[in-house]
Amino acid sequence: MLSVNAFSLSLDGKTFIKDLSFEIANGQVLSIMGPSGIGKSSLLHFLSGSMSPNLTITGEAFLNDHALHTKATQDRKVGLLQQMPLLFPHMSIMENLLFAIPADIKKSARIDMAQHALEKLGIPDKANALPKTLSGGQQARVALLRTLLSKPDYLLLDEPFSKLDPALRRDVRAFVLSEIQKANIPALLVTHDPEDAKAMEGDCLELKKEAI
Amino acid sequence: MAWGYQRPFFRKIEALLSPILAIPHAAIAIGLLFLLSPSGWLVRIFSPWLTGFDRPPNWITVQDPYGMSLILALVVKEMPYLLFVMLATMKSIKAQESLQVGQALGYSRFTLWRKVLIPQLYPIIRLPIFIVIAFSLTVVDLALVIGPNTPSTLAVTLLRWFNDPDLSMRLMASAGAVTLMLVIVVVLAGWELSHLLFSRLTRAERSNGKRFGLTDSVLRLGVVLGIFALLNAFVALALLPIWSLTRRWRFPGALPSQWTWDNIDRATPLLMELTSNTLTIALVATLMACVISLVMLETKRHSHSADHGKQHVFDWLIYVPILLPQIGFLFGLHVLLIYLNLNGDLCAIIALHLMYVLPYVYLTLKGPYLAYNEEYLWQANRLNNRPWRNYLSVKIAMLKPAIFTAFAIGFSVSIAQYLPTLIAGEGRYSTLTTEAVAQAASGDRKQVGSMAMLQAFFPIMVFWLAQFIPPRWTKWRLALKKVFSRRNTSCSV
Repeated sequence: MLSVNAFSLSLDGKTFIKDLSFEIANGQVLSIMGPSGIGKSSLLHFLSGSMSPNLTITGEAFLNDHALHTKATQDRKVGLLQQMPLLFPHMSIMENLLFAIPADIKKSARIDMAQHALEKLGIPDKANALPKTLSGGQQARVALLRTLLSKPDYLLLDEPFSKLDPALRRDVRAFVLSEIQKANIPALLVTHDPEDAKAMEGDCLELKKEAI
Repeated sequence: MAWGYQRPFFRKIEALLSPILAIPHAAIAIGLLFLLSPSGWLVRIFSPWLTGFDRPPNWITVQDPYGMSLILALVVKEMPYLLFVMLATMKSIKAQESLQVGQALGYSRFTLWRKVLIPQLYPIIRLPIFIVIAFSLTVVDLALVIGPNTPSTLAVTLLRWFNDPDLSMRLMASAGAVTLMLVIVVVLAGWELSHLLFSRLTRAERSNGKRFGLTDSVLRLGVVLGIFALLNAFVALALLPIWSLTRRWRFPGALPSQWTWDNIDRATPLLMELTSNTLTIALVATLMACVISLVMLETKRHSHSADHGKQHVFDWLIYVPILLPQIGFLFGLHVLLIYLNLNGDLCAIIALHLMYVLPYVYLTLKGPYLAYNEEYLWQANRLNNRPWRNYLSVKIAMLKPAIFTAFAIGFSVSIAQYLPTLIAGEGRYSTLTTEAVAQAASGDRKQVGSMAMLQAFFPIMVFWLAQFIPPRWTKWRLALKKVFSRRNTSCSV
């Protein structure tokens, strides 16, 4: 379970978000909506531990009652999925997947895991192909599986569907939700699109501009 | 440039520019020597049927007292560089759009260039022009090969004075080096001042609405001269291999009457030694330059994200070795080397080369490196937290094309260095460049031809490899991996 306590965000004395608190259970997706510039991305940065220094951020985050906000990014075991799939263009799809699997797992087991992921995507023949040969939807799915293979404790989704065309979006959304449920980890989705939030079947939080 | 831009065949010239840029100027100078000298190829093809000569005429064509041949060599060498820089800036000033708008208004192509594009272009290419001016004023190896002899240029004379057995000449040489500095400053100031005057005078004329003008034909003349210069460069280069394969080539013949591999064969031991010296120095210096550049750029990136927009101190410091006259600067360094007891050491040569290679490598890498999408690296670190390994296997691997190009440029800069090698090496280490320049006047064209050819060959080769390898690297790597994994499974079965 991921919980955030009294999160506040301000820049140059101007407050954007004040005392935001929420909880996300394992296997659930919480959607956060709101206009651009409201500080959605900063919330994700707060949770992933890569805040820019000129923002003033206060608040606490806990994962299963362990403090998260005091840890460095590399100790948090966070998975982040963005608009761009960010597959490494110079590695084959197999290598991209293997890259994420923790190194302490035995080599043959790692290859089995990656192969299994490829079969799940229905592209077992593409193991040695380069990412650019995949369609946008396939790339998005590979990126999600790659992130999940790194065994994150929680998942952050930063508008991962916005670059996909509408027909594809539905499939990818369903795929993402079912994979998150299988992995049984809490996930936070930031989006513009109400359809995204609806498809995730979880709670939806709407941030509004505060009149100051 | 004005004439050819946007025309289809110009693309091909663009592709040809980079090899000319890569070729050391000494090789071009030697090629021009072969082409233009009284017994050179230009006279040969017109003899004896047109000129009636059956022996070389008694003219002074190269090394003429007015330095015409030196000027020509400098034009041939520097024009591609300026062309290259201009092409790179064309996009940033939206030249294509301006031309379209202007032509729709009925302006002729050349008038547009003069009235619209050149005034925009100039501030951007001012620094490259300054570099060219400073280089032309201080160049030693080109002037030695093809420049006037008695008296020679100030830079060459300084070299002679510095090497004079009479030690008191060194004082004079030092004074001369300071003078040369002043000359550069004065010339640059004069250039800038005349530009200022010129743009003041033509400001009103720019908006007088005339669509055509007299200057159009002046620009047209420039086009002819430019093409002539480029052509010269290619023919000069083609002559290098011909001479190195010649056995007999009597004067009026347009081509050698007998061909042979003997020249190269005979010179092989010497060439091998020169080549290994050259390549060692170039490879070590360029590799070091690449690593240092990467470190510098990474620090720059960090400080860049901290305070936006400010010019980093590296950006200014890096130009110092390029803009300072080599001849004065290097003799100062030589004194330091003697003081440190490092003179004549291979390390000293590499260090001096590094000083000249580094700016070019840094400037080439800067754009792509700072434009790199850092998200890839962050994502890699989130997936798999091994920052050092990820830096190499993700960021560096993705920047491969840029790093290869920077390496090729650094390599060709190192190959071309004449004075740094001569001064730090004190004659104990010769490279293809120093040896070719030293022998250019010897008259043994066959041997000089082979040296200059090798000197031109390596940079072209490295440039070609730098273009050829990166796009195919991943394909090859995956193919290799496949072969190995197949072998492994067959072994285990």
